[in-house]
Amino acid sequence: MKRSPEESEILGNFTPSKFSGDGFLGTDPRTPQEIIVEDALELERAGIDAAAIGNALGVLFDRALQAMGAMIEIMPGVTARYHESRGVIPSPFRGEGAFEKGEVAVSGLPGFGDVILTRLSIHLIERHGFFQGRGQRYRIEPGAALMLARASVR
Amino acid sequence: MAGIQWVNILISIGFLTAVGIALTLLLVIAEKRILNYGDCEIDINNGKKKLTVRGGSSLLSTLSDNGIFIPSACGGRGTCAYCKVSVLAGGGMLGPIERPSLTDDEIARGVRLSCQVKVRSDVAISIPDEIFSVRRFRATVVHKKPLTHDILELRLRLVEPPVIDFTAGQYIQLESREYRGREAVNRAYSMSSIPSDAGHVELIIRRVPEGICTTWIFDILQEGEEISLSGPYGEFRLTDTQAPAIFIAGGSGMAPIWAMLRRMREIKDPRPAWYFFGALTQRDLFFVEELRKLEGELGNFTFIPALSNEPPDTPWEGERGLITDVVRRRVPDLPGREAYLCGSPGMIDACVKTLVDLGVAREHIYFDKFA
Repeated sequence: MKRSPEESEILGNFTPSKFSGDGFLGTDPRTPQEIIVEDALELERAGIDAAAIGNALGVLFDRALQAMGAMIEIMPGVTARYHESRGVIPSPFRGEGAFEKGEVAVSGLPGFGDVILTRLSIHLIERHGFFQGRGQRYRIEPGAALMLARASVR
Repeated sequence: MAGIQWVNILISIGFLTAVGIALTLLLVIAEKRILNYGDCEIDINNGKKKLTVRGGSSLLSTLSDNGIFIPSACGGRGTCAYCKVSVLAGGGMLGPIERPSLTDDEIARGVRLSCQVKVRSDVAISIPDEIFSVRRFRATVVHKKPLTHDILELRLRLVEPPVIDFTAGQYIQLESREYRGREAVNRAYSMSSIPSDAGHVELIIRRVPEGICTTWIFDILQEGEEISLSGPYGEFRLTDTQAPAIFIAGGSGMAPIWAMLRRMREIKDPRPAWYFFGALTQRDLFFVEELRKLEGELGNFTFIPALSNEPPDTPWEGERGLITDVVRRRVPDLPGREAYLCGSPGMIDACVKTLVDLGVAREHIYFDKFA
């Protein structure tokens, strides 16, 4: 399929760059649009939209941030810890500004193991329903995001 | 029949080639005539410095070509928003790439991303005076010394220029190289070295998982290798007052504090000082012996390490709990206190709130935020 120069430029923002060493697609052969559509179907089956999930993940992120590196338990057997990191990373969707780089590592999520949350990944979910490509360190499976979102509003 | 086809093919190729050459010539002429902005003047800080430059390039790269280095991490893509300058005249329209990176107040004051401003006419800008002293350096790696499981000290010897003039608390931008398909990048690190050791720069760097620059530093960069950096940048520094000083930092945030404390020792600064070093567990502490030694050398200095995640059954006898709780318990109630913080936005915001609650004047709280 042929792409316009604009589409090619946007797609280029999702590949490895000065800001994201691994890009936003990982080893996933799908385009961002295909990833968004498939993940949206999974959310639809669960009866929740991406904006609500992103909002709940933001609450969880803030809880871990306030613990300043100390481990917090977000549900039985599942912990989260904030790791600081200097600098900012821009959204691959141009014109949306840059986001702080610190991340929250969630450990022991049943069926999913470890999950990484960042301000940018939460923004991408909330604003675009984009959970990032498979094989990408920051990919959050919709099922995992749903589980975390439910834990965050408890 | 076949001969006619070949002739047609050759005519087509010749025609296309001629069109290509004509278009190229047109572009060259257009660039020289239409896009020729000629010489433009950049007035910096109301006449403090004036540059006569060839128009057509970005303000960021034009300044860089003339030895004025504005901080930037994205190579002029308009995404890092580090290269802000106040454009007082001649900046043209605000572009759509800049808008999300600027606050309404900044826009009202004429702040622009210098990488997105094209020099097409005379331009007047305002930049911090410190930027004039920023230089680009070549340096060699003296050592990479592990301080904890995920933090190392990088000591560099400056080659050209051979010395750096800076104030304790300032930072440099390190330039990584391309490796394993990853692009070269610029990243900011506070200097932990002291100004009197002007031939060297020391940095305290924490490994960022999958981070482009820290992976390069930890895994690729070798001792003896030559690298490039620019600096000094930043306004985070000790005031000239003798007010009691409260320092709060952990991890790589210790870098500017370590420089300030050693500078205080060097100039025999008598101000009372407390350093709250926040860490998770004992394995995240470093420079503990050196800081204990500093307590004796500075005379009026107290070092308070605090662990927030140390298992309860270990023999740790120091403070336990979140750094904000420890600060709340241990900060002395002295008039005119000043505070110096370095770390993540979450840590800084929480500590500022705690200090204000404790009566420290907000305008006396200085910080270097990891953002």
